[in-house]
Amino acid sequence: MTETREERKWVGKSIQRVEDPKFLLGRGGYIDDFGLEGMLHAALVRSPHAHARIKNIDVEEARRLPGVIAVVTGTEAAELCDPMPDFGPDPASHEWRCLAVDKVRNVGEGVVAVVAESRDTAEDACDLVDVEYEPLAPVVDPEAAMEEDAELVHEMVGSNVAFERNLIFGDVDRDFAEADVVVEDRLRWRRSGGQPLETVGAVASYDPGTGMLTIHENSLSFTSYLFMLAGTLKVPSNKLDIHPHPAGGSFGSKLWAVKAAAIAGMLSKATGKPVKYLEDRVDNMTNCDHHGSDRVYYAELAATNDGTLKSLRVRVIDDYGAYMQFGVGHHGNALAQVVGPYRIGSVQYHVQAVLTNKCQQGAYRGFGSEVHNWMLERMVDLVAKELEMDPVEIRRKNFIQPDQFPYFIPDGNVYDSGDYEGVLDKALELADYDYWREEQKRLREEEGRHIGIGICTAQERSVFSATEFWFWFDEPAAPVTSTPESVTLQVDAAGNVTATLYSCAFWGNSPETMVAQLVAEEFDVQPHQVNVVYSGTSQGLPATGPGGSRTTVMLAGAVEGASQKIKEKALKIAAHLLEAAPEDLEWSDGGVAVKGSPAQRKELAEIAMSAHLFKHQLPTEIESGLAADQIYDHPYTTMPSEDRKDLGVFYPIMGHACHIPVVEVDVETGLVKFLKYAAVHDAGTLVNPRSLNGHIIGGTAQGIGTALLEEYVYDEEGQLANASYQDYLIPSAMEVPELVIGHQETPSPYTVHGIKGGGEGGRMMAPAAIASAIEDALKSLGVRVNELPATPERVLDWIEEAKGLE
Amino acid sequence: MSHRRRISVVVNGSRHESEVEARKYLAEFLREDLGLVGTHIGCEHGVCGACTVLMDGASVRSCLVLAVQANEAEILTVEGLARDGQMHPLQEAFWEKQGLQCGYCTPGMLVRAYELLREDPDPTAEEVREGMSNNLCRCTGYQYIVEAVLDGAERMRNA
Amino acid sequence: MKPAPFHYHAPTSTGEAVELLAEFGDRGRVLAGGQSLFQLMNFRVVKPENLIDINPVTELDYIRSDNGTLAIGARTRQSTLERSREAAEWATLMVEAVKNVAHPSVRNRGTVGGSVAYADPASELPAVVLAMDGELVLTRGQGQRTLAAADFFRGPYTNACSADELLTEVRLPPWPSGTGHAFLEFQRKHGSYALMGTAVLVHLDGDSIDRVAISLCGVDETPVRAHKAEELLTGNASSEEVFEEAAEAAAPELKPLPDPKGSPEYRRKLAKVYIRRALELAVRRAKGER
Repeated sequence: MTETREERKWVGKSIQRVEDPKFLLGRGGYIDDFGLEGMLHAALVRSPHAHARIKNIDVEEARRLPGVIAVVTGTEAAELCDPMPDFGPDPASHEWRCLAVDKVRNVGEGVVAVVAESRDTAEDACDLVDVEYEPLAPVVDPEAAMEEDAELVHEMVGSNVAFERNLIFGDVDRDFAEADVVVEDRLRWRRSGGQPLETVGAVASYDPGTGMLTIHENSLSFTSYLFMLAGTLKVPSNKLDIHPHPAGGSFGSKLWAVKAAAIAGMLSKATGKPVKYLEDRVDNMTNCDHHGSDRVYYAELAATNDGTLKSLRVRVIDDYGAYMQFGVGHHGNALAQVVGPYRIGSVQYHVQAVLTNKCQQGAYRGFGSEVHNWMLERMVDLVAKELEMDPVEIRRKNFIQPDQFPYFIPDGNVYDSGDYEGVLDKALELADYDYWREEQKRLREEEGRHIGIGICTAQERSVFSATEFWFWFDEPAAPVTSTPESVTLQVDAAGNVTATLYSCAFWGNSPETMVAQLVAEEFDVQPHQVNVVYSGTSQGLPATGPGGSRTTVMLAGAVEGASQKIKEKALKIAAHLLEAAPEDLEWSDGGVAVKGSPAQRKELAEIAMSAHLFKHQLPTEIESGLAADQIYDHPYTTMPSEDRKDLGVFYPIMGHACHIPVVEVDVETGLVKFLKYAAVHDAGTLVNPRSLNGHIIGGTAQGIGTALLEEYVYDEEGQLANASYQDYLIPSAMEVPELVIGHQETPSPYTVHGIKGGGEGGRMMAPAAIASAIEDALKSLGVRVNELPATPERVLDWIEEAKGLE
Repeated sequence: MSHRRRISVVVNGSRHESEVEARKYLAEFLREDLGLVGTHIGCEHGVCGACTVLMDGASVRSCLVLAVQANEAEILTVEGLARDGQMHPLQEAFWEKQGLQCGYCTPGMLVRAYELLREDPDPTAEEVREGMSNNLCRCTGYQYIVEAVLDGAERMRNA
Repeated sequence: MKPAPFHYHAPTSTGEAVELLAEFGDRGRVLAGGQSLFQLMNFRVVKPENLIDINPVTELDYIRSDNGTLAIGARTRQSTLERSREAAEWATLMVEAVKNVAHPSVRNRGTVGGSVAYADPASELPAVVLAMDGELVLTRGQGQRTLAAADFFRGPYTNACSADELLTEVRLPPWPSGTGHAFLEFQRKHGSYALMGTAVLVHLDGDSIDRVAISLCGVDETPVRAHKAEELLTGNASSEEVFEEAAEAAAPELKPLPDPKGSPEYRRKLAKVYIRRALELAVRRAKGER
């Protein structure tokens, strides 16, 4: 559809969400709300060691506990199941199983599974399992892990560097040689994670009569890859049926979260009974397989004296933990927007993926691109400092200009559209920037207070291509290129529309509302009249699910396609009913009318009733019913070149945002508090502005967590020192300021309605903006913020170091 | 095996007699024994507030209260807010203001807001923000929750 | 995270409760608010065999003034303390401190006695009881004894109660009228455990400090009084410099336990800052300002 904003009726309206009533009434249907007759409960014996060989396991006492049905060790699990599906660089060498076999590789890794009549009893039995370990030296610090003599996390890999690649785009050496100024820094981004309030869970039921394994769970992504999970569970690929349940939050951590399903499925097959495995909070914090990025950057940015940014060189060490299920896809995300919104001409990106004895990384809102944003913005601020340039002006000067789009960045990806100055100017206005610069000065002079104004202007890519997972390899084992999303639209005999989605599309985003608004736009119905349902996989079409802010764009494409098919058929039926030629008819106002003679029309309901009930009144070739599927795939992807000098287009739908927070730093304690926070986002055409705002605020809240509060603290023994919410600090309402939000809509030329994804953006901006603000507040002391979280203790250390007090 | 005890609890106005294991905590009892799955379990150590219910009029973390401790108590859960198929003004307000995304914290938020507004029917935005910091939300960043509570307060004052 | 099985007992009187304590000894554990104990039990850090639930012992739910000494029954809810007029009049410091304890839903169950007896080195109420030279009444089958706060807190999560004793009352003797108080604590986020906190009471004679108490939580194995600082201040005129000196004097003595939210070194630095700030606030209040 190419109508303008003014012509749209439903897309662009902040309607109340279609999803909400069930959640408000406490009838959400989450996985723990679901049960089956005779269902058993599983719990895991978790490793207390970060790294150890398993010498012996005694389960006799546990097996004898009344109410215990089965106890399965890792060795037994390895008979029941094959290794987990793994998209890492060398799955055979860093083999990942649902329960550890010969050794444990992170604190919390599952060692034994107990199935009992209740979770209580299962946990009682876990206490009775006796595991003898031979502790090994834990590998904790990623740089230490890279050393020759380091203990190996996976012996078969032969090194703790599981993958390394140095990609060079453009003439980096020349650009650095010709630069007037080169700034360098070591930056450290420590791991945090999604920590949704609901953990991952699955209810599996194996029917020996049919051989069908049915699994209900709160994760359903990449449905076409589920044959791999079926393989793990040793069932034929067409005998695995997965049903999605709404997820109580995800932020990436329920993307392809297959371990709970594997455990529940294995145990259901082993016991012949339905089994529920729901992670408790300790399982989730220590063993969720979805910790966020954990990086050390050695970065250099080259510029000329007038502030033109020329070239970026980074070596990034990423602490992946004990396994590498997504390979270095996180760095594909970084490469998607590697130069940020700037006309930087060349880039060197050297990634070293390191194995350590920690929970493995998975996905966390930004999936690795938010870290790159932070690093790049920190380096831009460093250039500004070096050249004594205003941080706002240096950014403005280097922005890609509106007339340069579609803009190809040095690595081959394209930015579809943008107007970065527009966003910046709006943000400066909303932030009351000039006023706060005055206040900053005044409060410093009059009261000795340290106010800082931060700025981040950065990209928020959306809708990933599969290539970002494999273009790292010259000879990828599986150069996959599909990332479909499907929708089925059905118009029933009464003219009511049902839309079916095929993944666990609901994570707290608003897929039902999006689809309802899109369908309403197509068919001129009321959004709340559209019924949106979810299908399991055995009756399902291919779906990838949420992730990389793709859902709305992909659903829009699928809805448009299915709508077109329905309208075509409706037109043919209407032609017959109106005794007119199809060419003389058009879709109009909820029905089909004769062009130029709108009174001659048939409503959709009439057309639908004919389609369903009155076959003999229709031409023979028209089948009964009025429904259509659309399997929509990525709108714009191209292949990487063989030499990998050009990675092709893999993330073209590029949003952008500017965050301007104002903070105050208490220089005696290092505590940071917010005085103001303005955020302007450009996510193309908006479907439901308020819903996007909700994500901007929520994402920013998580960004605040990452920037100031959240860190999985692993000690030298690899123990997770803060495996509870008392010590892993999630922002409350008092830590998140009120945001002043603005929008700009620069449509994408590649998507339906020009929509871009925007669900991750808040978290992709906030850490950079906040680091910038803290540094600005402490400018007079010369503090450099190059590590996060910027805990009060770290900030105080920086202050004291700067004062020479350390 | 823990002792089992008979308990008698009034939940959302209805009395329930049951026999429970002593270690079963209140949230589990509500969910498993009474089928009231609106009260959610998030952390099982009393920090997130997803399990918040009212017990004798006061909000509590129902993962840190045993079911046996609720004997002879009156409990209000999210299921007790709507009446005769009509949403409570707070629920209407949360819907209007998009005060939820995934919905997992929402029942706890609604119950806590109910308590907050009973104590002060006309709070300022700052008071609401502080009062609602009792409960964690990972999705919304709280802004629309604050707006929803203020909107709910207004609806309730005008009712 | 389900607790291990236990036997549950629900006495309805102090007498019944102490009988059960005598019966079970180390195999029994008092359950008051449960806001700390259930955390430990749900993580299976502790697995008590018998829980003696004193929530039904309503005779221990009271706040009353005994000639200015505030007597708080052990089973009094923290939220009751927060709203108590008696407490506001006779022990404002307690009221100010209790507002820092976690969140309203936790204070609706948590008890004053439970918090004091739990003796978490980072928690607020023990520090205030110590600042006020409070007394703890311990009851057993054969009678009662009263312990000074300084003798009650023995170590991290360790109090002086014997296995058959129940803390039944917290007594807080009054300070002279005109006393300024301040309770300040540093939380990484609102409602979380303090990295450290300080409770200060100060009474002035003209411009001079004639009595001062400084108590700290989160800086040692138990709450501690900053005696050196108190000595330094007593008899001196209040001023920025003397507050700084006092804070400096207190810091080296402090031995905070490890905490993933902040290192011992950091918390010592915080202590210096917060002692000074608390003294400033308490003196301002003593002078009737702010």
